[in-house]
Amino acid sequence: MVFTVDCDVHVNDTPGALAPYCDLPWRHSLEDLDGANYPYLQIPGFAPNFRLDPPIRGMHPYRSVNTAREMREELTEIGVDVGILFPDHLLLFAAIPHPEYALFLSRAYNRWLLDRWLRDEPGLYGALLACPQDPEGSARDIEEFAREDRIVAIYLPTAGVNPLWGHRRYDPIFAAAEAADLPVVLHSVTIVSPVFPCQLEQFENHFARQMLGHSFAMMANLVSIMHTGVPARFPNLRIVFTEAGIAWAPYMKWRLDKYYHEYRRMVPVLERRPSEYMSERIWVSTQPIEEPDDPNHLVETIRHIGEDRVVFASDWPHHDFDHPRALLRLPMPQDLKRKIMGENALRVFTRIPAPSAVGADSEERA
Amino acid sequence: MAEHVIGTIDDFPPGSSRLVKVRNVEIGVFNVGGTLYALPNICPHQAGPLCEGTVNGTMICNAATEWKHQWVRDGEFLTCPWHGIEFEIATGRALANPRLRVRQYPISVDQGLVKITL
Repeated sequence: MVFTVDCDVHVNDTPGALAPYCDLPWRHSLEDLDGANYPYLQIPGFAPNFRLDPPIRGMHPYRSVNTAREMREELTEIGVDVGILFPDHLLLFAAIPHPEYALFLSRAYNRWLLDRWLRDEPGLYGALLACPQDPEGSARDIEEFAREDRIVAIYLPTAGVNPLWGHRRYDPIFAAAEAADLPVVLHSVTIVSPVFPCQLEQFENHFARQMLGHSFAMMANLVSIMHTGVPARFPNLRIVFTEAGIAWAPYMKWRLDKYYHEYRRMVPVLERRPSEYMSERIWVSTQPIEEPDDPNHLVETIRHIGEDRVVFASDWPHHDFDHPRALLRLPMPQDLKRKIMGENALRVFTRIPAPSAVGADSEERA
Repeated sequence: MAEHVIGTIDDFPPGSSRLVKVRNVEIGVFNVGGTLYALPNICPHQAGPLCEGTVNGTMICNAATEWKHQWVRDGEFLTCPWHGIEFEIATGRALANPRLRVRQYPISVDQGLVKITL
């Protein structure tokens, strides 16, 4: 059995669940949103999104995980030893315009995560929700919450973030993450909003928007982070890009290098090629893993990115989740499988103990 | 291999850049702060006419400059006219890519005559 770290699983963060963890006056807002039975990723004032599609019968079911116990059982069921928890609805957190409400809400989520998800069950770790609407306030919260040892990352909400991550206004968040020795994880979701990537409303259906939402977000935020020199200015910061698959990464790596040739004097803050920063301190997670007819093409793509740069993610319990076997069945050597499924993640999320420390637990479940 | 006289030292004053032809090979001759360098007029990137480019300083921005932009080392870098890649004349090294390097021809001054070995 391959030790498996899942870098992206989602907890069901409803307004009602978070309300008791939110300070006044904004607690009342969450209380008033509670119980309205809003659909996934479309709660006014909480998960703002412009949803356009009519329902079509026979679509995939909507799944959510509501307790740490459920999460532990379900991850074990699919063969995951360690899961790193991210929100559901607050994937749209960055689209919330009000900075004070947003900071209170992020604090409530982080408290709730620590209290309800990271206390009892083994192998569950958390990513703190950063608040791009108030970078200074968020940096102070990161400093405080990062003392908890089950916190292993800082989640940078990416859908609807404006300006993009990399803008200098977010420097306090990057500085706080670097000081806490925690990686930042960019996670997007398909959103129709007036900010990047905008004009997605022109597509007739979600199929089309899904093609571009995540991948454009990752590409644009990578470029943003590069062009302001984040990897140079924060030389110990580790950066992870999630939920856009992996094949976009070689394209961007080669394209950044190509134009660095011409435009280096515009970005002298990068003292090496963008690919060199990427090959040292940037990782991409696998889900939704591409499924070419010839799986060798995918293995080749992994090698283009770097055998040490790819980390497994399932995105459990979402509709497009990847079972670990989606990676384990690929035609690649066992040592590469071990890297992708867990060893690479342990080098990013350094607070997660190595498998020897949780070995008894793994064997029991195997 | 033979030495070829390409002119006198007065033809290549400090700060100058000139294109010469030796045995049908185009060579750029650059005087950077009193030292002569001879580079082939072929960019190692995509074979553009490298030595027809301009000679400039370059921009830096790092911890030593407190992350402010600074223009430095005027006259030490050659920019290829095709893709704008900057080469450090003294080393032939491309600033944007350590794997990209333009070679140098031996160049010397002997009794006021400038000679290239080719």
